Amino acid sequence: MRPSLVLAAVALTVAALLPLTLDPAGYLIRVLTVTLLFAAMSQAWNIVGGLANQMSLGHAAFFGIGAYTSTILLVNYGLSPWIGMLAGAALGAAFAALVSVPTMGLRGHYFALATLAFGEVMRVIANSWPSLTGGPAGISVPFAPDSLLMLQFKSTLPYYYLMLAALVLVTAVFVVTKAGALGYRLRAVKENPDAAEVVGVDTARVKTIAAVMSGGIMAALGTAYAQFTFFFDPETVFGLGPISIRVALIAILGGIGTAAGPIVGAFVIIPLEELANSWLSAGTAGLSQLVYGILLMLIILVQPRGLVAPVEALAARWRTRRAR
Amino acid sequence: MTDAVLAVANLSKQFGGLQALRDVSFTVAAGEILGLIGPNGAGKTTLFNTLVGIHKVSAGSIRLEGREIAGRKPHRIAALGLTKTFQNVALFMDMSVLDNVLVGALLRQDLRSARVTAAACLDRVGLGAVLHKRAGDLSFPERARVELARALATGPRVILLDEVMAALNAVEMDAIMGLIRSLRADGLTIIVVEHHMRAIMTLCDRIVVLNFGQKIAEGSPAAIARDPQVVRAYLGREYQA
Repeated sequence: MRPSLVLAAVALTVAALLPLTLDPAGYLIRVLTVTLLFAAMSQAWNIVGGLANQMSLGHAAFFGIGAYTSTILLVNYGLSPWIGMLAGAALGAAFAALVSVPTMGLRGHYFALATLAFGEVMRVIANSWPSLTGGPAGISVPFAPDSLLMLQFKSTLPYYYLMLAALVLVTAVFVVTKAGALGYRLRAVKENPDAAEVVGVDTARVKTIAAVMSGGIMAALGTAYAQFTFFFDPETVFGLGPISIRVALIAILGGIGTAAGPIVGAFVIIPLEELANSWLSAGTAGLSQLVYGILLMLIILVQPRGLVAPVEALAARWRTRRAR
Repeated sequence: MTDAVLAVANLSKQFGGLQALRDVSFTVAAGEILGLIGPNGAGKTTLFNTLVGIHKVSAGSIRLEGREIAGRKPHRIAALGLTKTFQNVALFMDMSVLDNVLVGALLRQDLRSARVTAAACLDRVGLGAVLHKRAGDLSFPERARVELARALATGPRVILLDEVMAALNAVEMDAIMGLIRSLRADGLTIIVVEHHMRAIMTLCDRIVVLNFGQKIAEGSPAAIARDPQVVRAYLGREYQA
């Protein structure tokens, strides 16, 4: 068995058993649940940012579309969030396809800026359309008794497993995509788009497919988030800092383009944020942000290719030795 | 001209105010090796890039096996059977040698059979021993061979080779020339851009000469070597065959 599979199996077993040792209504399990969610979101971003090397800074657009779609359907029509999740994913995917058209030819910073603009536009729209979204006042998921059908639970524990399942699913999608024909084509496009075209890769098509997958998954995770927090506003789901930059940062810090990167990144960044907030916020204002920022900079300076890069290099050496 | 695999007619390419190609016309017959020569900046690489669709055609027509391909995207043109190698070597540097070629093979095959094709193409260019090396770690002559293997893996009818023999020593050059001849024997039609006169003169059936974006001569290697206009523009002195 390959070492990466063994590692994944061990990690999954630990993740499945860990909550049994925790207070099911406690603070720690909430942090872990959020961490798993952000790992999944960052993994979805990784399909576009890591495989296609398109540095999106607008993934909040898809996340917010998902959160609002399912919640609006639930509030107005009493539809199950599972159906809302499908509708949101479809909308998110469609929006990703739409955004792909004007941003297709853009590379590097220009792509990042264009996607950033799309994310911000969605935030502004959500803020200025209160009849649909509740506007800046936000929107609440109507209270219901515990029910898997309505995706609502009093305890954090079911949400923990929901997010864990989501992370496993998205990671599986990422791994299968990366190892498949699409993954090869995306890497070719990332390395040299002209050469990829000349040997038959439809660069526009593969980039759009990656964007649609990523956007659809991100929207589905938006629904999971809405059900978990019960309340959100445009800033929390369409926010540049809270969502777009954070999911990109997690993947970049952990190791862009690798399956483990977003998971490692999320388990560093989210707890770090929480620690910085809970330990230091009582003291000088802004100190927690400062410490958090300095820690991030240190990590990036020490390991610019991502935290999993040294492990990846080791694995690559091992593979070539076996191939010989 | 029914047996022309590739027919270029009155092809022009403009970059802003620069006329890079002006009214270029020529045909290539099935199984032919056509040489394309000219001084630096004559438009050879521009012509290649325009043929495969990287550059948009400003005017004129390009017919591949009778089908108009001018204005199509490169991947469509590759699917119709025309591809090229890159002069400055445009490999996917961070991918393995095998994976580079695999991307080309995926044009017509699924992943499993593409892997087999890619390995066979690399064997053919003599790189069967370095499949798992990172492309960026290869020497320049090796990279040129990977380029060739990747182009072959797409299953082309016509292949444009842009200076695949640059930086090769005499032995390596002979090996590549043997390889190009064997590709022709397999039914491929080939256009070569090359600066090595010995290679061009011995390899090609016919030669087209470009200067300042225009065709100034076309004919057999012997005729080209004697053409006073070509000698003046490019060869500098009469080529001693």
